[in-house]
Amino acid sequence: MLNFLKSGKCKAVLWVLALLIGLMLYAVFVGGYTISSVALFQAVAAPFQKLSNSISQHVEYGLDLYRNAEDYSEENRALRKEISLLHTELADYEATKEELERLQAFVGIKEKHEDYSMTSPFDVTGYVTNDPFCAFMIDGGSEDGISLYDPVVSDMGLVGVITELGTHTATVTTILSPELSVAAGTRASGEKGVLTGSVSLAMDGLCKLQYLDKEVKLKKDRIILTTGENGLFPAGYVIGYVRETGMDDTGLTAYAAVEPASDLKNLSLVVVITDFSGKADSDDAQ
Amino acid sequence: MHSNRLRKQNRLFLQIVQWVLFAVVIGICYLAETSGSYHKPLMLLPVALCIASHTGELQAMTVGVVCGLLLDLACGKLLGFNAFLLVICCVLISLLYRYFLRQKLINMLLLTTACALIQGGLDYVLYYALWGYEDVFLIWQRIIFPSCLMTAGSSVIFYFIIKKIAVTCGSHRINQLEKMSISEYQE
Repeated sequence: MLNFLKSGKCKAVLWVLALLIGLMLYAVFVGGYTISSVALFQAVAAPFQKLSNSISQHVEYGLDLYRNAEDYSEENRALRKEISLLHTELADYEATKEELERLQAFVGIKEKHEDYSMTSPFDVTGYVTNDPFCAFMIDGGSEDGISLYDPVVSDMGLVGVITELGTHTATVTTILSPELSVAAGTRASGEKGVLTGSVSLAMDGLCKLQYLDKEVKLKKDRIILTTGENGLFPAGYVIGYVRETGMDDTGLTAYAAVEPASDLKNLSLVVVITDFSGKADSDDAQ
Repeated sequence: MHSNRLRKQNRLFLQIVQWVLFAVVIGICYLAETSGSYHKPLMLLPVALCIASHTGELQAMTVGVVCGLLLDLACGKLLGFNAFLLVICCVLISLLYRYFLRQKLINMLLLTTACALIQGGLDYVLYYALWGYEDVFLIWQRIIFPSCLMTAGSSVIFYFIIKKIAVTCGSHRINQLEKMSISEYQE
């Protein structure tokens, strides 16, 4: 062992460790921008990631069916009752039609919000391993007109922001993360607060609308929208639905647990809003 | 003379095959790491450690750098964070196996558990606990600690895969070839 410490091999290991420290400092220095060699690697790996991700989604689907068969059976029975009450017909849709409808939903966003400049839909190439807040990667980057801290949405609602940017890939931090704060509120009653992630709620796929007036009683299923006050997100975009309410630990303000409208654990397509009226500068957003 | 050259070529070919197979295992693990939204073991960690236990210090260091950087990319960590840790772990493990330890499953299981806990602990402290999030212990309890256990558990599979590759076409096979050539020479 002592021979190793005196040998050139030991010096080589120390040089590599010093190099890695340098790399870490450089990565910190470049901020949210991906190092070019890494971006190149990610671009090469992206098709393989997509393939393995689609395989994994199929496996997950199969396992989910196996594990929750009982729950699904009950849910199915309840849904059948509901269907019979509503006298609604069900029809099967072909995969291409389904895809078309999903893309049409994105077109709907543009129709509803004319001030938005949006990219074309990007595929979710994979989720960040073991991230408690469901951060994920998309196959679009700065070459596609995306900038750091651009909002990311799905056809259902707000998803998060771009926090790391490469030329052809980007990482999205979701609204479940405590790093993100969104000015949010309800349209009907006008209550406003700050929506942010919370570790305990994120475990159940929820986020927290805090600093609400303690007199406010938000009802379950009330829709929460962005208010656009910090200039990071456009105003009037759906975030999610109120699931429960309570008082903060201080007792001075109330909070609401909000379930995101988008299923953040199973996203496949998202779009990035590159510009909208009232957008703040990138530095302000940071 | 001619047979010596043949043996050298044979050795080189086996070494190339061994490293190609190691690279394939590493590639598959990276793809598995970046697929799906469920919590999973950090498979690149036991793979790197198992390879390190069969190679010299410099090769172990290289494997540590590669697997560490891939782990950084997959986990969205600061580039170099896991690489730094894995270089140290891989070189130490290579030295431990050279001087003190034998190729036993229990040794690898204990070493992987220790490394996974160190990696998970540092990840938890530097990425979550330091930032003072509310209920931050839940991240350790529900995500990082189970992931450490899964990582340690997955080392059982990778131990046998890597051992099989190393024994079939790695250093063990080369030693066998050398012994054969010595016995042939003596005869």
